[in-house]
Amino acid sequence: MVATDEELVAKSMAGDTESFNQLVLRWERPIYALAYRVIGRDEDARDVAQETFLRAFRALPGFKGQAKFSSWLYRIALNLCRDWIRRKKRTPLVEMPEGVDIAELAAEQGPVESIEDLVSRQEMSRIVADGMTLLPEEQRTAIVLKEFHGLTFQEIADLQGCPLSTVKTRLYQGLSVLRRHLESQGMTTVEGRRES
Amino acid sequence: MSMTFTCDDKQTLVAYLYGEVDPAERETVEAHLAGCAACAAEVTALGDVRSELGLWAPPDAELGFAIVRNAVRNPVRNAVKRSDAPSAPVLRPARWWNTAPVWAQAAAAVLVLAAGAAIANVQVKSGPDGFSVTTGWMSPALSEPSAGEAGGRRVEGPAVEEWKTALVALEQQLRTEIRSGRAQATRVAAPATPDEATLRRVQQLLAASELRQQRELAMRFIEFSRDVNTQRRADLMKITSSFGEFDERILRQRQMMNNVIRVSSTPQQ
Repeated sequence: MVATDEELVAKSMAGDTESFNQLVLRWERPIYALAYRVIGRDEDARDVAQETFLRAFRALPGFKGQAKFSSWLYRIALNLCRDWIRRKKRTPLVEMPEGVDIAELAAEQGPVESIEDLVSRQEMSRIVADGMTLLPEEQRTAIVLKEFHGLTFQEIADLQGCPLSTVKTRLYQGLSVLRRHLESQGMTTVEGRRES
Repeated sequence: MSMTFTCDDKQTLVAYLYGEVDPAERETVEAHLAGCAACAAEVTALGDVRSELGLWAPPDAELGFAIVRNAVRNPVRNAVKRSDAPSAPVLRPARWWNTAPVWAQAAAAVLVLAAGAAIANVQVKSGPDGFSVTTGWMSPALSEPSAGEAGGRRVEGPAVEEWKTALVALEQQLRTEIRSGRAQATRVAAPATPDEATLRRVQQLLAASELRQQRELAMRFIEFSRDVNTQRRADLMKITSSFGEFDERILRQRQMMNNVIRVSSTPQQ
């Protein structure tokens, strides 16, 4: 039977390092993905992810379980992302994993999908990523947490330390900016692409 | 929320978009959307944006973080790779210059300085005007003190000799240390030591580098294919265009020939 986060946290707090490593295994990819989408750089996202787990491990004795373990991890990761952005004093630089996606897509798609299609998908992904860099950090983070991590408005509000209404406003404004960006780049709607 | 919905209620619109509304709110919003084309279009467009966001995937990075206790050198928990799987340490990956011992870094710095000084032919002289430092490629004859500098005392000779001796000793120490380090690393049954961890980390970095190179190669190949394809299309267009021009020319020539035939076949009066 798979242990819950809470059970693993309890064991970790009792000194079982392996239990903590199971938590790491469970959460490393979501945390890395969160960092990557917020700061937009693979190498730095890795650094943020590993620093998140290291800090979590060190701070484990102080974790009282008021929040979910995942929310606690997200908070640590987001604080690190915010520090990174402030330190660099720049908006996230979305560094598309140029070779990575294409190669993986090529392997996944086999001979059915043409090079043109692959390049087109890569290009669309780049346009979306570029659009995300246009957003202020708060809007971008709200969208990432909602779209890719499925958090509720309330959970996002708790993580961002703002009212629920602010989260909704950030999401609306962020999506609207993205919509304009995608339209300006000639990206048609999904339905439109399907029809064509 | 009130049971009415207006076009400027964007917060409820977003809540509806993400399905975080209760059934009564949903009904209210849907009733409004049924009669308001602008709001209905906005909901559709924002829904499309959400779909487009799905295209944005992070790279499939090799992670594999794990935490282990390392009581030998550092009482604080250290992080190393999990089992033998290719993975990265939890601790910020040590840059290559941080993986060498401090004394080796110092020795390397001295060697670099010495090499730099040798290349630049640095000379330190003391004379009536005080100490002077000269650099540059100068032949020994040229670097001899002139008559005016006869009173000057050259100090670089013995100092350089001592320096060289010290450097040779340092280099030998460095070589010995590296040799002993290699011997330790090749011991199969040796217990886990910080040096082995470093070696593993270097291997990880190498593996990651290879992976990056492979991916870059794949990307280059795809870029190349795309370029070839683009060129092929351009060539085809050019050929098509050339054929068009050729057809026009033939047509003109045919018309000219017809005119000539017509004129020549007309009986002259």
